Amino acid sequence: MDHIFPVVHKWGIEFDLAAIFMIIVTSIIVLVLALVSVRGMSVDKPTKMQNFLEWVIEFVINIIGTTMDFKKGKPYLILGLSLIMYIFVGNMLGLPFGIATEVHHGATIFGMELDLGGESEAHVAWWKSPTADVAVTAALTVIVILLTHIEGMRRNTKHYFKHYFEPYVPFLPLNLIKEVSKPLSLALRLYGNIFAGEVMIGVIVSGLGWVGIIPLVVWQGFSVFVGAIQAFVFVMLTMVYMSQSIVHEEKH
Amino acid sequence: MHITWSTFFIQLAAFLILFLLLKRYAFGPLLGIMEQRKELIQGQLDNAENSRNQAAQHLEEQKQALQQARKEAYDIIEQAKATSSKQADDIIVTAKTEASRLKDDAVKDIESEKNKAIAALRGEVGGMSVKIASKIIEKQIDEKSQEQLVNQYLKEVGSK
Repeated sequence: MDHIFPVVHKWGIEFDLAAIFMIIVTSIIVLVLALVSVRGMSVDKPTKMQNFLEWVIEFVINIIGTTMDFKKGKPYLILGLSLIMYIFVGNMLGLPFGIATEVHHGATIFGMELDLGGESEAHVAWWKSPTADVAVTAALTVIVILLTHIEGMRRNTKHYFKHYFEPYVPFLPLNLIKEVSKPLSLALRLYGNIFAGEVMIGVIVSGLGWVGIIPLVVWQGFSVFVGAIQAFVFVMLTMVYMSQSIVHEEKH
Repeated sequence: MHITWSTFFIQLAAFLILFLLLKRYAFGPLLGIMEQRKELIQGQLDNAENSRNQAAQHLEEQKQALQQARKEAYDIIEQAKATSSKQADDIIVTAKTEASRLKDDAVKDIESEKNKAIAALRGEVGGMSVKIASKIIEKQIDEKSQEQLVNQYLKEVGSK
């Protein structure tokens, strides 16, 4: 039996409790990690955790540095840091275990009835990567893409509006498609990779049982790799789009 | 694919809150610390550069001082050499003068001694020749002429 997510309806709005729960958990983990790292921070005697966080900062600085002049990209450093930590932690959370409960029709949570999709009995999965939910990746993407457009208009106004008509005016539809495809690809890439990884874990666990431990370990290791790569790619593309939007390439 | 819009907006809000909290309490201060460290290291590098320059300057000064000292030492030795050779010359000159003076004195002494000796000898020779002559005469002249002679001498002596 497939796992479904705990969905409830309130005020006529559909809420996915698992996604909300995981968003909060991921945010708290990232926040605690960062706060623990900066506790007792010092200029000349950094603690181990401070070193770790500074390493992350250097990493993101390098990402920004490969796409644009760091002076121009400096305002987006904290955005990139928040993104990479949130996405990485989110990607990792779904890997080690899952929490599933078996519920019957009419079960309630916080006084709200669970929507079982018409089934009378279902397994509800409470634990997953938040980034395995397309709504989550879409929200992150929207933040990033909106910001690139706003920054493009603000810091590179003339070139920003001109680039829709380049090289010639008839190319406008192509340029519009390009602008639309950016957020789509950004959101769906992250979602697809992480969701597929979790589906695969579910398939291995439910399909192979105890025999599946070895492939499960292998796949989880690979998923750690994929999760790290996807976090990196997301931030990298964020900075690439940002640089495309704010940096006016001089034509020679 | 099904988008749960509530999740979308909750994620939007959650990320913005997370971003602001991280910026306010974690990354902002940490970036400040990193900036401070950068300045600290820059300052220390500058310091090191200054110290190095000063050291080089001091080394140069030391070298010059050493050179100066060597030159002075050389001068002193040269001066000493010159003084000593001058003194030696003086001594030699003095010695020569003294020697020639002594020689002259000796020559004078010899001269005077010689003169004295000649004078003495002359007196002696005179006396002796008188004696010899008197002896010879004593034999040749008789008593008469002797008496005459004695008288003549006596006369001479008396007139004196």
